[in-house]
Amino acid sequence: MTRFYMIPFIFWILLSFFAMIFSYKLDLGSLHNPGPGFTPFLLGLLLLAVSLYPMIRYFMKKKEADETPNEVCSQVNYRKIGFVLASLLGYSFLFERLGFVVSTSIFLVLLFRGMGNSWMSVLIGSAITVFITYFMFTFLGVRFP
Amino acid sequence: MDIFSNILFGFKIVADPLNLLLCFVGVFLGTLMGVLPGIGPTAGISMLLPMTFGLSPESSIIMLAGIYYGTQYGGSTTSILVNIPGEASSIVTCLDGYQMAKQGRAGPALGMAAFGSLIGGTFSILALMFLAAPLAQIAVKFGPPEYFSLICMAMVSSVYIAGGSFIKAVVMIIVGLLLGTVGMDPILGRTRFTFGSGTLIDGIGLVPVAMGLFGVSEVLMNLEESLERVMLKVRVKNLLPNREDWRRSIGPISRGSILGFFLGILPGGGPILASFVSYAVEKKISKNPEGFGQGAIEGVAGPETANNSASGGSFVPLLALGIPSNVVMALFMGALIIHNVTPGPNLIEQHPEIFWGVIASMYVGNVMLLFLNLPLLGLWVRLLKVPYRILMPLILLFCVIGSYTLNNNIVEVIIMIIFGVVGYIMKKFDFEAAPLMVAFILGPMWETSFRQSLIMSGGRFSIFLLSPISLVTLLISMFFIVVMGLSYYRKAKAKEIIV
Repeated sequence: MTRFYMIPFIFWILLSFFAMIFSYKLDLGSLHNPGPGFTPFLLGLLLLAVSLYPMIRYFMKKKEADETPNEVCSQVNYRKIGFVLASLLGYSFLFERLGFVVSTSIFLVLLFRGMGNSWMSVLIGSAITVFITYFMFTFLGVRFP
Repeated sequence: MDIFSNILFGFKIVADPLNLLLCFVGVFLGTLMGVLPGIGPTAGISMLLPMTFGLSPESSIIMLAGIYYGTQYGGSTTSILVNIPGEASSIVTCLDGYQMAKQGRAGPALGMAAFGSLIGGTFSILALMFLAAPLAQIAVKFGPPEYFSLICMAMVSSVYIAGGSFIKAVVMIIVGLLLGTVGMDPILGRTRFTFGSGTLIDGIGLVPVAMGLFGVSEVLMNLEESLERVMLKVRVKNLLPNREDWRRSIGPISRGSILGFFLGILPGGGPILASFVSYAVEKKISKNPEGFGQGAIEGVAGPETANNSASGGSFVPLLALGIPSNVVMALFMGALIIHNVTPGPNLIEQHPEIFWGVIASMYVGNVMLLFLNLPLLGLWVRLLKVPYRILMPLILLFCVIGSYTLNNNIVEVIIMIIFGVVGYIMKKFDFEAAPLMVAFILGPMWETSFRQSLIMSGGRFSIFLLSPISLVTLLISMFFIVVMGLSYYRKAKAKEIIV
């Protein structure tokens, strides 16, 4: 268990402080009349307690902890993940500006091609998919831009 | 109306051509998702939920229910032929099903999985019919303390079932509850954590969160590996099990039906738990336990029956009490809310078309599935060869469309992408998304019950102990927490684990 695995708990601790601070600013109310901040404050406190426990244990057992390199990052395909996320964000940006048909066509062409499919199958696959999804969802009463 | 009249009423609902078509579409898509590894019922139902926005509530639930129990049928196909479970509930089917296929008995394995699923599914529908309505009549008397305790038990059970790290599952529950507080305070109507965003006034949407955590994150995880499937080169023939197969399977099927149904009712239970327990039970009581793992048909018949029976049992707490027993039922609850139907003990009385229509559709759907899975086996086998590089863009497209069409708001798509990244990072650090999802959906009800209880009691926590139902459910929750805590403590002491 390397120190790398403590990173999520640092995040949860920060989240718990965020929840407690902002819910304190809302009205906490009282036990017999809880306000809007009561429950999130309580949850923030619980989250802090639960997240601190492994952190404390880690620092207490630090010398005995196994410091072998973490495997979390070794299998991450940053290029592909970055490509997919950029495509998703770009699609979201263009969806209402260019409309469903054009933006979806661009999105699918990019993704199909980016995943290693041939140009012929990319173009045919994208066209068929756009056609089918457009008519299927429109038939079901969904409205597209 | 008596049960017989009610079920006739339900068949009348299902006999509507649109509902019949939707039932077929649901079981077809469910089987498809069950066959294709990488898309589970949770992601599948999340992605297809937006398709139901324009439909009536009963039609939506008929289709979504078809998807749910359809995935249980489809998952066994890949388990038996490819040794890759299509669904988590089909993991144990790999153990003996694949061995049977290697011995040239893929046909009887697939056939027994299908027949066992039909019998288990039919049993659970009958039991649902007789159990849900009386339970709902009892639940009408529940008040805020009872609901608070029941929901606590549901969340504790989902931690128990999550397996893995106890601490991480608890963190997920708390984070899910916190996410549920975003938006309007359910009692005083004040906005919380919206930071001026109009989109967040109604809270974070269920669909973008579900699609992000289960759809997008799964895609990102799958990008790390090459999903080359080695297909077993066997001719699948003779789908009908012989007399000896039936003799060996009738016991596991009977036990699987009962076990599966009651495990499906349990909060945190469902098809996955049911299939594992059924396998363990059959192996334990078998006269030839050493045969398990070597192609014992009991190892296919029992679990496949149990997982289908559990999918029917899962509906009992949702339809009778308005409390989902697992993450898929939580999505169903979300679907009902989206269609302006309040799940709860009054659902059966106020919306009999939903309850009886869904039950009748399950009878019809299970029969459709038998005909879909056996004669069309060749089609499903061919689908196994569809490469993931073709499936992946389609999954993402459905996720985007689904999130957008919720409110025709692109911000929902951004939320989905954020949760996709969060879900991916969570998976890398072994945080399971299911407890978060259950808590997120139950959170508003949990908070309302909690605060109403405190208002009723003048701030005294003893209100939760004064009601017998509340006391018993809290004691059960405490029992689970103590068991998990002791197990964690023992493991920590023995292996010096930190989390």
